[in-house]
Amino acid sequence: MPTRRNFLKQAAAGGAGLLLAPLAGLHSCAPGTSRSHIRGSMHGANHATGHLLRDASRLPAPTHTRQVEVLIVGGGVAGLAARRELARRGFRPEQVLLVELDEQPGGNSRAGRNEVTAYPWGAHYLPLPDPRNHELLAFLQEAGVITGTDAASGLPIYNEYHLCHDPEERLYLRGHWQNGLVPELGVPPEEKQQIARFFKMIEEMRGAVGADGRDAFRIPLAESSADEQFRRLDTVSFAAYLDQHGFTSPHLRWYLDYSCKDDYGATAAQVSAWAGLHYFASRKGRAHNAVASDVLTWPEGNNFLVEQLRRQATSPILPNTVAYALQETPGGLAADCYDVTTHQTTRVEARRVVLATPWFITERLLAGLPATPLRPLNCHRAPWAIINLTVDGLPQGPGAPLSWDNVLYGTDSVGYVNATHQSLSLNAGGPKVITCYLPLPADKPAEARQQVYQTSYDEWVRRMLAELETAHPGLTPHVQRADVWVWGHGMVAPTPGFVWGTARQQVALPWQDKLFFAHTDLSGISIFEEGFYQGLRAAAEVAAVA
Amino acid sequence: MDKVPVRRARPAAPVAAPLPAPADYRPALLLGSVFVIATCGLIYELIAGTLASYLLGDSVTQFSTIIGAYLFSMGIGSWLSRYLGGSLLRWFIRLEILVGIVGGFSAPLLFVLFEYVTSFRLILYALVGLTGVLVGLEIPLLMRILENRFEFKDLVSRVFTFDYIGALLASLIFPLVLVPQLGLIRTSLLFGALNVVVAGIALYRFPETRPFRRGLSGALVVSLLALAVGFGYAERIQTYTEGLAFQDQVIYSKSTTYQRIVLTKNQRELRLFLNGNLQFSSLDEYRYHEALVHPAMQALPQARRVLVLGGGDGLAVRELLKYSQLQRIRLVDLDAGMTHLFRHNEMLLGLNKRALLHPKVEVINGDAYQWVRHDTTRYDCIVVDFPDPGNYSIGKLYSAAFYRELEKRLAPGGWVVVQSTSPYVARQSFWCVSHTLQAAGFTTLPYHCYVPSFGEWGFVLAGRNAHWRPDAGPLPPGLRYVTPATIRDMRFFPPDMSEIPTDINQLNNQALVRYFEEDWGPYVH
Repeated sequence: MPTRRNFLKQAAAGGAGLLLAPLAGLHSCAPGTSRSHIRGSMHGANHATGHLLRDASRLPAPTHTRQVEVLIVGGGVAGLAARRELARRGFRPEQVLLVELDEQPGGNSRAGRNEVTAYPWGAHYLPLPDPRNHELLAFLQEAGVITGTDAASGLPIYNEYHLCHDPEERLYLRGHWQNGLVPELGVPPEEKQQIARFFKMIEEMRGAVGADGRDAFRIPLAESSADEQFRRLDTVSFAAYLDQHGFTSPHLRWYLDYSCKDDYGATAAQVSAWAGLHYFASRKGRAHNAVASDVLTWPEGNNFLVEQLRRQATSPILPNTVAYALQETPGGLAADCYDVTTHQTTRVEARRVVLATPWFITERLLAGLPATPLRPLNCHRAPWAIINLTVDGLPQGPGAPLSWDNVLYGTDSVGYVNATHQSLSLNAGGPKVITCYLPLPADKPAEARQQVYQTSYDEWVRRMLAELETAHPGLTPHVQRADVWVWGHGMVAPTPGFVWGTARQQVALPWQDKLFFAHTDLSGISIFEEGFYQGLRAAAEVAAVA
Repeated sequence: MDKVPVRRARPAAPVAAPLPAPADYRPALLLGSVFVIATCGLIYELIAGTLASYLLGDSVTQFSTIIGAYLFSMGIGSWLSRYLGGSLLRWFIRLEILVGIVGGFSAPLLFVLFEYVTSFRLILYALVGLTGVLVGLEIPLLMRILENRFEFKDLVSRVFTFDYIGALLASLIFPLVLVPQLGLIRTSLLFGALNVVVAGIALYRFPETRPFRRGLSGALVVSLLALAVGFGYAERIQTYTEGLAFQDQVIYSKSTTYQRIVLTKNQRELRLFLNGNLQFSSLDEYRYHEALVHPAMQALPQARRVLVLGGGDGLAVRELLKYSQLQRIRLVDLDAGMTHLFRHNEMLLGLNKRALLHPKVEVINGDAYQWVRHDTTRYDCIVVDFPDPGNYSIGKLYSAAFYRELEKRLAPGGWVVVQSTSPYVARQSFWCVSHTLQAAGFTTLPYHCYVPSFGEWGFVLAGRNAHWRPDAGPLPPGLRYVTPATIRDMRFFPPDMSEIPTDINQLNNQALVRYFEEDWGPYVH
């Protein structure tokens, strides 16, 4: 049985990705360059706590003991959704405790704020939900995102301020901004035919139903059909599937690669065909006052939803708290919880524990429970960098006006989102924050992670500006501030065999009515709806045995 | 340039006994200077007169008083010349540099100050007076310098000949070449530089200037440099292209944080442009503003509080102030530059009857959408006078979501009126506004009127279970366009403007901006 010290050493070594070097204070760009005036912060998930964990042997022994019915470890979307669902299922606030490593909950849906606007540090939109996803709709209604139901159609009416305002998307292609992200400008006719054929196929798949009467592609994905004709698609890569079906148009393939990078942080060659198609064919949103392709968005991105999740329950949340040394007790489980701010450790004894942590953390926590069977799950997780640029102007190229989502054809990044897009101000020319997303897909994510940890602040800013300058010549002097967040472990990628392989479905099963699991890693697709679903599922399992 | 100014007369200075003229080119140089400074002098006078008529209107009065003040000041200058002693050449050079600076910067200074000062006339006449005094000193001083070199009769003859030829040249090139080619600001700076050049020639061509050459050289170079910089800057504020963009003379232009405000003027009218779009012409704006305000207000004899959104020109407020029962008029306009202009510029105050300075009127500079969302007051009437929905930011102010916010701010029985672009040119756009108001829960009464500057223009009255009649209450006296019969007429839509089906303008589809582009596109390109 490993000692706590050993565990912490392991955690420190294994979780190195999580533990970015301390990156405090304001960084600046290289002197003598056109960007030398740019300053900003550099963050990485949990870096402060991570630093502390490196020296984990000094963590004090527990001085208090606290008893709860349910301990939730992890305050991302899944953990917060579990907390909310437990409250809905009648657990009293004092029966539930959530501990979160970071100073604010939210996981990948964190947000920042400056004098111009709030802005996302990660996930930033929710596609219009499938109206059959009743649980999600109920949450949105409680959050004020849905304001009512149309009597005639029975369809939800969405809050117009939360629906992404028009114009929604544009693509910089051949020196010109076009409306929409599917390449059109200067695309040869034969490629256009392929593109049309692809979307026709998607339209059919959207309506496809398996032998079990379930939709081929559904959100949450657990509701999807088990029909072998669809599940088979999970065994090949999306790229291979596209090759097989004659989808070879470079413009189409760029667009599909972009889509995979956008949602999975991986390329079409890295994700399964099932996942690649699910991205498109699962979108079945309907609303009285919006169309299927509409999305919901907020200046702070999905942190808006996180905040709503948090508010819809009152049980305590302990931020800045590291849970470790998970062990079995006669009445359930215990975890030592170290508070970074008070430097005190509390032993939390719980009848049941929900691990709403990414799998690489879950594995570490399980290592302290020798009785649990080893549960291997190979999550492919590429690094990401998010760069928030505060600009006092955005020189525009020719074509479509600034939109919510702005993508540059053929670049490494997946473009930028205008955080002030939902603003109702007439001052369109005023300062704004643009959130640039730079996924770093790699076949060997661990190596890529080592590389990103060595990348300097200046290098991130240089790299992003070099891309943006092609579409916005003269942007650099307008940048007032650049804030960088490096996600060593981005979201899980649905590599072939991951979603419908046996490992994923097995690891999600509860252990001895004591330990429950909730995280998008257990879905294989890191989207808000899946995190929400995972939290609800785990809470329902807890309630079922309580 | 439509007025020919009164010719000026030069006072003669007493001249002493003649000396034989030396075979020397320098007297000729000085006589050449007379020609140049005479031209400059008249140019400054013309600039002041033109500027005053552009900025203040009523060109007969402006030219007449400017010329009077200028000539009188010249008289003062001539009288003061007797007190100048010592090295006359030194005085002359100093004077030329000073005239170059004061006269040269007169036009840019007046243009810039026009935006900022309340008593523009005072500044204008002070500057005219100062220029006049300095110019008045020039000829007597020159004659005294030349007195030993010519016989008196020759001196008087030559000086005044050159003086009047210079005046003729100025009066011809000013309207024909300078204003159209250079504009007022650069003309003014250019002639300022000529004065300084005259000073320079005198300074370097006459040996008697040696003792003070060094000191004056510095002043000379600095002045020339300042004028040259001004010339370069003038290019920016009043570019040739801007002159081309507008039919008439641009008399005021300013870029605020939000928009570019340009005022133009011709003999008959004053026009306001925001970002190049005509907002009103002083000739027929009454039609627009009466039609905007009175159909709603005549139905609200009990109205106490009115909210005006947009309309920073105060012209809608001017109409509202004709209803004495109103207690409070709150105007929310984004652009402080706009409301400041219409609260301080005398010409514009004449147009809006000082409406924005009225004690019942509260002016708020802010974003209308945000402001309405956070407001808690209820209004009997809401006048929505935004620019046309030509871009996505403005399009949001025509959305169903915005109209639902307005609905919350409307007192029971109250009316909203929305300027809704042209139902003739932009038929889809017009009816889209009406349908969007309906989607927000309003009953709508669309109407239109003819404004010669704009063409057919449309408005939508929107209320909630409110009763409306075209002759519900008394109209204020003195209206030039709106009567109960006019209102009835305005409600009628002939077939070429009649209702057509449209989408609802929502934040997530911006249908109106798309319609507007379609509708106006053929007219713009």
